[in-house]
Amino acid sequence: MTFDISKAWCRNAGAREDGLDIGAGVIAADPMFTHEAGADESPEASRLALGRFINLMRRDQGLSIEALAEKADIEIGELLSLENNAAHLPDVRTLYQLSEVFGVSQEKLMGLSGLTHANDDDYVEEAVRYAAKSASVEVLNEDEHAILNGLISVLSENAKQK
Amino acid sequence: MIATTPYAVTPVWLTNRSTKETVDAELWHSIVDKNLADWEAEWIPDLQRRLKLLNQQKVERRFWPQSRHWDWRDKLREIERRLANLSFAIVAEDMTQAMMTIDLTKRARMPGHEGQHLVYIDFLEAAPWNRNDVAEEPARFGGCGSILINAAIQQSTQEGFKGRIGLHSLPQANSFYANACGMTDLGQDATYENLRYFELDPDSARSFIEKGKGE
Repeated sequence: MTFDISKAWCRNAGAREDGLDIGAGVIAADPMFTHEAGADESPEASRLALGRFINLMRRDQGLSIEALAEKADIEIGELLSLENNAAHLPDVRTLYQLSEVFGVSQEKLMGLSGLTHANDDDYVEEAVRYAAKSASVEVLNEDEHAILNGLISVLSENAKQK
Repeated sequence: MIATTPYAVTPVWLTNRSTKETVDAELWHSIVDKNLADWEAEWIPDLQRRLKLLNQQKVERRFWPQSRHWDWRDKLREIERRLANLSFAIVAEDMTQAMMTIDLTKRARMPGHEGQHLVYIDFLEAAPWNRNDVAEEPARFGGCGSILINAAIQQSTQEGFKGRIGLHSLPQANSFYANACGMTDLGQDATYENLRYFELDPDSARSFIEKGKGE
């Protein structure tokens, strides 16, 4: 028995899938996830912190969504979703590109996104606390600058591990 | 013994990512010897070449494609006598572009659907030249993942599972399953290399199929 899949459906599917990877199944080597069994938790709060961090960094650098997407070579829709939708799961490449542009740890950005779960996840809690202090305004004020600096120090490669 | 011809063939179309044109393709209902030959003679050397590029570019190993050690011949040998395991391949321009194996014995975990039968996607992989995670060369054909998910949903419907499917996504593909397919993310699975486990319920399966028709 065959399936019913039209040419129009395939064309639309091809467009939707553009730029995305599709692999599924067990990892044969180099598992990225090393957290203890059963330690999974809702990543929504930390994803909100990630979105807030990206929003603050973007505005601090005077960049529009479009300009940052171009600078980081990522999709505009992906960036919009990252900033505004805590349910959105970013892909690894996006976080890698953003970590390069912002000069922070890609590993910690992945931890914040929920893609990985660090053994020492104090920085996630700290980043959430900083993000919770920020409020949405058009221009960064002094307090936001201070919050942003705090986030940068928490997410930088050489931040002290507790 | 691995078959030499597929049980059935469904016409499908891929998208050439450079020209945006659609390209005639076929969904083969079973992976056959030709697909394994393509994997051995074309996929593996191409993947090795791309891994070499990643290495030269100093890309950390954990960002290399996680499926690089998969052995499709082993997988097929393991399931060839099992009635509850099926396989599919997409072929275009006389070359295998993607492959998938599924298992009909697994049950749903999603709240409200626990214990219901579903089609579980054991493995799904695109040819190296159709992927974005291996070096800077742009992917050649798009649509392989969506077509295989569509096939899994239709197989699920034919089995009486109402379109339910489940899978463990590789890290690079989380975005595809969560955002492009609308699957529910049930979190990391500590019993399965801590990969994220995704499920599609009957309503979301219908939406996935209808979404493509309506655009």
